[in-house]
Amino acid sequence: MAKLNVFDRMQKLDRRWIYLVVALAIILPLIIPFNSKTYVTEPTENVYKKIDSYAGRTDRAILMCFSHDASTMAELFPMEVAILRHCFERKVRVLTICFMPAAKPLMDYAINTAKEDYDVQSGVDYLSFGYKPYSLFLITLLGMGDDIAEAVETDDQGRKIENLEIMKEITNYNEMNLVIDFAASAAVYSWIVYARARFGVNVAAGITAVMAADNYPYLQSGQLIGMLSGLKGAAEYEKLVDIFAMNKDEYGNPDPREFSKEIIKESWIKLSDIENRKYKTARIGMNAQTVAHVMIIVFIIIGNIGYFVSKNKENHIG
Amino acid sequence: MSFEAISNFVAAILTLFIFSFLYKDNPFYKFAEALFIGVSMGYAIPLVYENAFMPFVYTPIFVEHKFIIIIPALMGSLYIFRFTKNLSWLSRYPIVFGMAIVGMGVPMSIHSSVLVQMRSAMLPMDNINTIIIFIGTVTILLYFFFSKAHRGFYGKVTNVGVWFLMVGFGASFGYTVMARISLLIGRIQFLVGDWLGLIK
Amino acid sequence: MKRQIPLIIVICMGFLFAAHTFIPHKVSADFYTWWQSWSKAISPFAVFLGVMSLFMVHSTKISRKLPNWQFSVITLAALVFTSFSGFMWGTMEGTPFMWLFKNVQMPMGATMFSLLAFHIASAAYKAFRARSPEATVLLVAAIIVMLGQVPLGTQISEWIPETSKWILNVPNLAAKRAIALGVGLGMTATSLKILLGIERTYLGGGE
Repeated sequence: MAKLNVFDRMQKLDRRWIYLVVALAIILPLIIPFNSKTYVTEPTENVYKKIDSYAGRTDRAILMCFSHDASTMAELFPMEVAILRHCFERKVRVLTICFMPAAKPLMDYAINTAKEDYDVQSGVDYLSFGYKPYSLFLITLLGMGDDIAEAVETDDQGRKIENLEIMKEITNYNEMNLVIDFAASAAVYSWIVYARARFGVNVAAGITAVMAADNYPYLQSGQLIGMLSGLKGAAEYEKLVDIFAMNKDEYGNPDPREFSKEIIKESWIKLSDIENRKYKTARIGMNAQTVAHVMIIVFIIIGNIGYFVSKNKENHIG
Repeated sequence: MSFEAISNFVAAILTLFIFSFLYKDNPFYKFAEALFIGVSMGYAIPLVYENAFMPFVYTPIFVEHKFIIIIPALMGSLYIFRFTKNLSWLSRYPIVFGMAIVGMGVPMSIHSSVLVQMRSAMLPMDNINTIIIFIGTVTILLYFFFSKAHRGFYGKVTNVGVWFLMVGFGASFGYTVMARISLLIGRIQFLVGDWLGLIK
Repeated sequence: MKRQIPLIIVICMGFLFAAHTFIPHKVSADFYTWWQSWSKAISPFAVFLGVMSLFMVHSTKISRKLPNWQFSVITLAALVFTSFSGFMWGTMEGTPFMWLFKNVQMPMGATMFSLLAFHIASAAYKAFRARSPEATVLLVAAIIVMLGQVPLGTQISEWIPETSKWILNVPNLAAKRAIALGVGLGMTATSLKILLGIERTYLGGGE
């Protein structure tokens, strides 16, 4: 009887004890860091390769659309910073836009965080189109297929974008041929349904993990050229930027490398060697993620053991 | 205490107010919730004014003297009547003006969500994975066809679809766990790292 | 007439838009440009809906002294003060408006959603049961995907991330494609219903 009571009590455990375990499972790995290997997936590699193919080109640009607010910042912000860092490092022209008021400061924050270590200039190396009301989303999205300067008109500082150097060779989706939508919603489907179908633009998604599994059909059909899924996607991209874009030669000078699967397999980056925490946020987070996932799996197993033992007991009595 | 430290302190206290809900509902949580709703809505108004009203209403009418824009501006102001009893019908005009774009959505969504997806499901079945994908897609579609009773052979086929759905839901669940934990990691990184400085 | 005229506008303009998708003629392009400029001028006024709705809900709560009405005062005061600070000192970096966003709105918004991590852990312990073979398949798939996403999975065995990848790329893809097809057809049907005047709920109640 006493043995079964343990399982009964397990079933009725106060949820606040579970909350305490969750908090500890996340706090401890963050305070006591350890190195772990990040497994890079193909959808992330594809985004990296596409962006890298625009390196140094003045007639190509990427558009980053920030479609999320602070609630999902923990997952999306590290990937935005990693992509911006890649662009600044490899001289890829990057344009940004958002259609949610709450996304505007996050967009500025991501740009400011990434540009701290680079000598880049707004209107030359990057450009923020700023916030446009959501009711203008489809109008702008479709308008950019014909003429970006006409659809967007001004940047976030009120400057006419047609006069800016960065836009000299960029007219529409023919040049701005990669759109990455960072979203916690179905916003990326609008790019697929309208921009991809009508203008053939390459679309990629930087999305919260909740949405990730739903996007696999679009990856297989090629409607999405790549995808970064949640914190894991961000950690993968951070790693790719470190291995390839940030590579240094034996004298410590920048020596960017071409993408190669073999190099990824051979590479081992010690997180403690990266001084700036903002460039390893996702990878530090993945340590805590590991512990938390194990904890959830253990919860599921213990919960099921308790359930089956109690059920057997009921059957036995019955 | 520097200004940044004070700012971090405010953010951390408000974060803890929200976390206090985990213990039980309490006035600190309610205060934070009320504050959050108010600030979020109040935040949107000046931004819409600066980024939409000024460039698309004020400048065209008062600077560029395109007086025709007065008509859509007046139409937009009809939204105000949405909450009145007798004149709420007036608010339908700005709504339907925007709604008209669904005309473009019909051919576009058929193309992207249906035709392209169907084409991708009909690849040559030259490997086991494409065969599995084909069987899974067809059996699930049959499962969602409720005009025929799921009995006999048809029932067995649709049951295969259920198994595929369960794997799909399992994958979504795995990712959802990851997403929720990531959000908590973000907040703990702020509290433990940015506020308390314990993450190196 | 209060319903019919708006319906006629949607139907006529909707079909013109459908035609515009297929016919890139100058007339159709001009129509589209006209619609764009008018829509832009209408767009800022939509914010009225949210603000008025919030004001009405909370002012009613305050005037009737409903339970917890004091918190409605906080909501309205926060709304007014945040807007005021934006109009008064601007919305750029370094202003009180942006300080409010960074230190009040942003941390609270992020924390609200992070509470779900605790709830999902509690649900994992108390609710996720292998009650049937189908539920067992769901749990097994979830566990493999969970392990496949984190570094530990790779360290246990290369097979874990590979199996996770296979689950996502094959059975999950089939399931999500079938759902996507259903959703796509549903969206198209709803759009057609709006276009043909069958779906009218967006017009609201009343005559």
